[in-house]
Amino acid sequence: MDKFRMIFQFLQSNQESFMNGICGIMALASAQMYSAFDFNCPCLPGYNAAYSAGILLAPPLVLFLLGLVLNNNVSMLAEEWKRPPGRRAKDPAVLRYMFCSMAQRALIAPVVWVAVTLLDGKCFLCAFCTAVPVSVLGNGSLAPGLSPPELTRLLARVPCPDIYDGDWLLARDVAVRYLRCISQALGWSFVLLTTLLAFVVRSVRPCFTQAAFLKSKYWSHYIDIERKLFDETCTEHAKAFAKVCIQQFFEAMNHDLELGHAHGALATAPAGSAAPGTADGAEEEREKLRGVTDQGTMNRLLASWHTCKPPLRLGQEEPLMGNGWAGGGPRPPRKEVATYVSRV
Amino acid sequence: MEKFRTLFQHFQSSSESVMNGICLLLAAVTVKLYSSFDFNCPCLARYNALYGLGLLLTPPLALFLCGLLANRQSVVMVEEWRRPAGQRRKDPGVIRYMCSSVLQRALAAPLVWILLALLDGKCFVCAFSSSVDPEKFLDFANMTPSQVQLFLAKVPCKEDELVRDSPARKAVSRYLRCLSQAIGWSITLLLIVVAFLARCLRPCFDQTVFLQRRYWSNYVDLEQKLFDETCCEHARDFAHRCVLHFFASMQSEMRARGLRRDTAGGSPEPLEGPDGLDGDGSRKAHLRAVSSREQVDRLLSTWYSSKPPLDLVASPGLREGGLNHRAPTVAPGARLSQHTDV
Repeated sequence: MDKFRMIFQFLQSNQESFMNGICGIMALASAQMYSAFDFNCPCLPGYNAAYSAGILLAPPLVLFLLGLVLNNNVSMLAEEWKRPPGRRAKDPAVLRYMFCSMAQRALIAPVVWVAVTLLDGKCFLCAFCTAVPVSVLGNGSLAPGLSPPELTRLLARVPCPDIYDGDWLLARDVAVRYLRCISQALGWSFVLLTTLLAFVVRSVRPCFTQAAFLKSKYWSHYIDIERKLFDETCTEHAKAFAKVCIQQFFEAMNHDLELGHAHGALATAPAGSAAPGTADGAEEEREKLRGVTDQGTMNRLLASWHTCKPPLRLGQEEPLMGNGWAGGGPRPPRKEVATYVSRV
Repeated sequence: MEKFRTLFQHFQSSSESVMNGICLLLAAVTVKLYSSFDFNCPCLARYNALYGLGLLLTPPLALFLCGLLANRQSVVMVEEWRRPAGQRRKDPGVIRYMCSSVLQRALAAPLVWILLALLDGKCFVCAFSSSVDPEKFLDFANMTPSQVQLFLAKVPCKEDELVRDSPARKAVSRYLRCLSQAIGWSITLLLIVVAFLARCLRPCFDQTVFLQRRYWSNYVDLEQKLFDETCCEHARDFAHRCVLHFFASMQSEMRARGLRRDTAGGSPEPLEGPDGLDGDGSRKAHLRAVSSREQVDRLLSTWYSSKPPLDLVASPGLREGGLNHRAPTVAPGARLSQHTDV
């Protein structure tokens, strides 16, 4: 358990580290899933190709979508994309950066699946067993004796050793070795190609858009942190709200009891002793409320957080503008967009 | 557990250690990959050589690229290479040093694969079984050339019916394996001797230049890491203040509209809201007077286009009238002098 905690701490030390950790786990899970999966070629002429194509393509798609789903930043990207500009202009470069970094990480598990499938060879063997060149690999002279559908039916059984009955035409081992060799060659080429692509993208990027990249990285990180801090502040507020609400309710009940019953002494004594304590607690909680003390105001706050995010400029205490609020002061000049277009 | 922890800490202590750790990890992954890979020689005339040599060379290439990818310093090196000079001169010697250290570490995993493949022998046997000279082996005396070629092509496949339990196959296979292992061990010996000589003889040459380059390459890496961390800290504080400002403006808005129900005395002034936090002095310090989008963008562009000079004693203002509002007095010559290349 201690080991897990340490690894968790190491991975959570920064955001990137954590995401890389998730990637690594998904890649391992993908390889493990493949080895646990019981491949079962149907060995029938029409079905082989469909089954193999399904096994080669459907799990990677699922893994890609799973990679996106597990990534918290997807909802952040969607939110940032769809929000109204309000007082804060949207930056397409930041959205692109967020999308690219998520897509890159989500692509690792599918790539591992495809690579492992090709390097193993069973899928390829199942798909292309009917396309083996019998004349080159086996007894070519005997092949014309069979009609094409019969030949196809015979060859379709190559992946299944228990039912293959064509050794007189083509030794099963020869066909299997041939197809597996091609499959492994394709697998290694695929691996080489993807690593080359990743290398080029990663190493060539600093040559071009480095300044814009630094900005996009900073602002995407900022958006993530801001969202988390807003959620934390709202939770704090909700707690304080609830506490004050309940305290007020008990105070009101107490007051009603005082009014309704003639036993003033019985009612006032506990109230008197409890008053200083509740007063102090109430003060603290009211401070945490930051002046937002009713449902309507809170709803308005949450709505305006989405529709009209505050500008990225500290040190100005203007009231919120737009959305029909009363407020003075000119709108700040819209200079943000220009600074982003220069280097991309 | 303690061992694990100290190992982790040791590897994270400097960027060189981190790179060495990654290098070792990749080498271990290579060994695992090789042992779990199911070798499958096609045992056909032209395909053998392609498969054998392909398997000997393609995975090392992919592993080399992975080694470059996994190493953060390769990106730092390219960034250092391509940045505009600005107020800080670029030193090609440092860039060369970083390049060579990155390449050396990236070569470890491919070499492990190649040596494993040669010492194991399967690749070599598969690739070169058809090129063996049949004259060396007496068993082929009474076979036609085409039969010999067919036989030789099937040597790597022990279970094939043509060559099963054949002494000739075993002879050819042993011969090729022996050759493969000899080549493997020779390469290992050569590499170790070269590494040993390079390491022992390096101090005989330009040791001071080497020390300087090592220092500055480490510095560049650490500086980039620290900058990223500082940006993260700054973003956190910026976001915190932004959120609190938002709540405060909501409060003042309500006051302006007269909707705020006055709670008991002692409720905080909205303008003091953010300032009433504990540790706000430290938060302000974190923001370092950079508190708007334009200022952050300008800071990041300037970091890229004009890194500050390596001189902590001179006035720290940026030449472009930067963000700390102090008179910039950095003279172009006032830099920490790096010795010119020998």
